[in-house]
Amino acid sequence: MRILIVEDDELVADALKRGLAQAGFAVDRVGTAEQADEALARDEFDLAVVDIGLPRTDGLALVRRLRHAGNDLPVLIITARDALADRVDALDLGADDYMTKPFELPEVAARCRALIRRTRSATSAQLTIGAVALDLASRTVQLHGHALDVTRREWSILECLALDTGRVVGKERLLRAIAGWDEELTPNAVEVYVSRLRAKLGDAVAIHTVRGLGYRLDDPAA
Amino acid sequence: MTRQPEPEPEPGPASLGRRLLVLLLAPLAVLLIAGLLFDYISSVGPVRGAFDRTLGDAALVVAAYLRPGSLEKIPGELPPEVSATLRGTEGRALRLAVRDGTGKLLAGEQDLPLPPAGFTTRSRPNPAFADTLLAGDPARVVWYALALGSGPTTITVAESTRGRDRPAREFLTVTMFVDVLQLIAILLLVILAVRRGLKPLLALRDQLAARSASELEPLDERSVPVEVRTLVASLNALFARMRATAEAQQKFVADAAHQMRTPLAGIQAQLELLERDPQAAPVRDRIHAVGEGIRRLAHAAHQLLTLARADSAATLERDFRTVDLRQLIEETVTAQLDRALAKHIDLGAEAEPTTVTGIDWLLRELLNNLVDNALNYTPPGGAVTLRCGSSAGAAFLEVEDDGPGIAETERPMITERFRRAAGTAGIGTGLGLAIVSDIARVHAASLSLDAGAAGRGTRARIEFPPRTDPNG
Repeated sequence: MRILIVEDDELVADALKRGLAQAGFAVDRVGTAEQADEALARDEFDLAVVDIGLPRTDGLALVRRLRHAGNDLPVLIITARDALADRVDALDLGADDYMTKPFELPEVAARCRALIRRTRSATSAQLTIGAVALDLASRTVQLHGHALDVTRREWSILECLALDTGRVVGKERLLRAIAGWDEELTPNAVEVYVSRLRAKLGDAVAIHTVRGLGYRLDDPAA
Repeated sequence: MTRQPEPEPEPGPASLGRRLLVLLLAPLAVLLIAGLLFDYISSVGPVRGAFDRTLGDAALVVAAYLRPGSLEKIPGELPPEVSATLRGTEGRALRLAVRDGTGKLLAGEQDLPLPPAGFTTRSRPNPAFADTLLAGDPARVVWYALALGSGPTTITVAESTRGRDRPAREFLTVTMFVDVLQLIAILLLVILAVRRGLKPLLALRDQLAARSASELEPLDERSVPVEVRTLVASLNALFARMRATAEAQQKFVADAAHQMRTPLAGIQAQLELLERDPQAAPVRDRIHAVGEGIRRLAHAAHQLLTLARADSAATLERDFRTVDLRQLIEETVTAQLDRALAKHIDLGAEAEPTTVTGIDWLLRELLNNLVDNALNYTPPGGAVTLRCGSSAGAAFLEVEDDGPGIAETERPMITERFRRAAGTAGIGTGLGLAIVSDIARVHAASLSLDAGAAGRGTRARIEFPPRTDPNG
């Protein structure tokens, strides 16, 4: 998986490059939006990590230009600004995620992985989280390379959580995923299926309960 | 929150209305009193004249009757018309004396005053009038000189003026009464007129008083009277300057944040890498310690910048928008979940759909600081719960933990401490609660710290002012 870092600060860029390389990514780095255009035209990337505060053309303009040109490369914005307006702007312009400086390198890596996974699941039926591999087309799960037997509802919940790895998925959404037209299910049903999934998956992936909100499936590599 | 006592109003030209009233009413009162005096004087003159004419007529009637030889009859056997005249009006008897040229009494009463020396038929005026005293009572007297067969004779007719004052007094009373009514009517009219005249000014005052510190929009100059238009223009200029200052500060703080965060991010990330580097194994503890120091520095810088931005944001009304508290709670829980999981704390939410009018990123900072504190002070195995909802039309935001809590006796002290913390620079909790308190103030919300459910832990509660919009 190849990542383009667009960051003008040497110290930050160097740390990002090393940190993401250690997390298993192939990393290129440029210092300006103009150089980013060149690099993107020349090579294929799976993701761009873009700083807003670039010299001359800023990061938001770069994202706007990318989207305008029909390029749907996933973009993670990293910025030293934290005002809401920037965040809203960034996401409205088509950035996929947003982080503020200073950041923890493992979190940057986790977000990159999640973004790439989400983009890939749109084009490919394969979804891999640690030792768990989901085939979205055949609706089957593999754990450590062996087929895992899950019910239809367990599958629906796992699919929902896996597609949003690292994010809190609301209980209502999970309930909608498992409830058929003619069935009345209580929110307790979700708890039951989640605890069965936990038992089946063991410690390959963690499904955390977020009290009052929902569940979050974590990539153990993060 | 305690408030400074209102300063005593300065003595001096306090009220324009009062000044106008004094300036109008004082001269008006003087004018009215002068009018009263004039009425008195101009009405008393004719009355006196009328009385004098009666008195003079009486003297002439007596004169017409006088013959030499008829004198001894006075006042015994006077003809009826003379008697009627002398009986006077309203029971006030006239008194009569007839004297010869030397002043010797020919007829009548001895104690009436003598005419002035040398008073003859040639004297002018004739009859002559004068004020006098009769047995100690004020009286009016008339002397009439005539030539009788026996020589120059004077007729003196006198009348006590005691009864005379009554009609004059009655007249005066009526006039005074009317004048006082007039005075009261004018007073009321002036007060009403002054009130009405000052109405636009008072409206302007109310408009200004109702403004919050963040309302810096210019006042409408066309809606105010010409006289205060310059004043309003100056005020608007001041508002514009304040707005510009607040915006400049916002920009400065944003720039400062940018300038500090980037190198801090670089250092922090580089230290993270160094710590993992096998070559650095012998000094890993020291690198870790430096990394923690950088984290604290970054946190402190962030907190200080947040405080600075909260202060200037308070003056920029335009940043206020509808904020979804439930969404804010979900985002905060998501952001803090890793920390909570690492500390084995059950971080959860009980969020009703709730919205408030506020500054989104400030409320996010507020919630983050409260959750930070809760996670810091709750031991592993504990629970931290974020809540939002509304009670009695007012939205609230709550963060409750089941940690050791704050002793009830210490709570007011802590409140005091964090009120001062911004100045005394306690990075950590002190500043965190100072930020919470500041952000609550910007939103006109109240902050309270209590024990949690069952008297355990701490519950920090932010109560927003009730929404005026029923759809809110």
